[in-house]
Amino acid sequence: MILNSESMKPIYVQIAEWLETEILGESIKSDEKVYSQYQLAEMLNINPATAAKGLNILADENILYKKRGLGMFVSAEAKKIIAVKRRNQTLKSLVAELVREAEHLKVTEEELIAMIQEAKRELKGDS
Amino acid sequence: MSVLEFDSVTKAYGRKKALDNLSFSLGENKITGLIGRNGAGKTTMLKIAAGFMKETSGDVRAFGEHPFNNLMVSANMIMIDNDMNMPTALDLEEIMASAADFYHNWDMDLAKKLFDYFSLNPRQTHTGLSKGMKNTFNAILGLASRCPLTIFDEPTNGMDAGVRKDFYRALLKDYIAYPRTIIISSHHLSEVEDILEDILLLKDGQQFLHMPVEELREYAVVVSGKEEAINSWLRGHEVFHKSDQAFGRSYAVIRNDLTDDQIGVAMKSGLEFSTISNEDLCLYLTSQEKGGIDDVFNKG
Repeated sequence: MILNSESMKPIYVQIAEWLETEILGESIKSDEKVYSQYQLAEMLNINPATAAKGLNILADENILYKKRGLGMFVSAEAKKIIAVKRRNQTLKSLVAELVREAEHLKVTEEELIAMIQEAKRELKGDS
Repeated sequence: MSVLEFDSVTKAYGRKKALDNLSFSLGENKITGLIGRNGAGKTTMLKIAAGFMKETSGDVRAFGEHPFNNLMVSANMIMIDNDMNMPTALDLEEIMASAADFYHNWDMDLAKKLFDYFSLNPRQTHTGLSKGMKNTFNAILGLASRCPLTIFDEPTNGMDAGVRKDFYRALLKDYIAYPRTIIISSHHLSEVEDILEDILLLKDGQQFLHMPVEELREYAVVVSGKEEAINSWLRGHEVFHKSDQAFGRSYAVIRNDLTDDQIGVAMKSGLEFSTISNEDLCLYLTSQEKGGIDDVFNKG
């Protein structure tokens, strides 16, 4: 993972999102241990308190659970929680931005939908 | 437990107050960044904390004791700065040997490895070192002594970019392995902020801010747009900085206490929001209300 220091997002949010992506992609599976705050701090060259904050966000959302003295583990429902959250937050705000920009450029709803469909076809063609 | 505590501390040099009723308390085993403009009182504060100097009034406690002329505090504390005086009769290896005698946590293995890594010469004398090399050696002393209170005052002055990066990485790794209370003062917040936990911002000898670095990132927000739109919208907001840019546009740094509704209203009137780096924010927060450098050149 590479931190983006120019990003609008605080480092701990970037860490949380990166771990979410790792969990979604099954690089870390349910009931597997995630990196400790100290491992993350060392990997990313950041203060361990910042790393802990990233982990705690995920624990608060029940994506991770704590085992006393052992560290943090991926919960069974983690993938589901992340998918729902991303749909409701990330995707929604991306769509809002898309619509705003389209409005700005006077792109009609039909044109916008056509563009989305084309992008989808391209994505399928690539894979 | 609080490792270092200042309670209403004032230090006067003649009529000038370098510290003016300064109060704060540093928690155990945190890395705190001490930030402030030239003359804000950073070095004065650190020298009083280290017991090198006596405060004019107020109360200072390091490990619960008054640091001035205090052997217990000296044994548990090291302050690394640019004008450390070392005995001229000793070479670098001998200086390290005497540091090992004094500091009981001293790690000679770490000291020697860092010494070799940075290609220092054990037979060299301290006065014979270049500025960058001197500060590199001093930084090694600061790390290897593993003092429960470790203070670095502008540690990377004169170091080249590679050595700076290596030093901060070494500091973080050793801190993770051996947590301790560390204060780093720096003019370059951007190069050190990632490894900090807290930030202490001084202005005119007083505490201006003391908070986790991650909270500082969310403390302020930049709003920009057409001058009239900004001016009317800004009323009722806490403005830290405002400047007019080209093409009738303005830019303002304000307190980030906005509700979603307020942001919505602003965006509808064409205002844009962005974040600000901690380094720039600290500059704005601590600038004098005399206008910017541009005003010096404005013929009025």
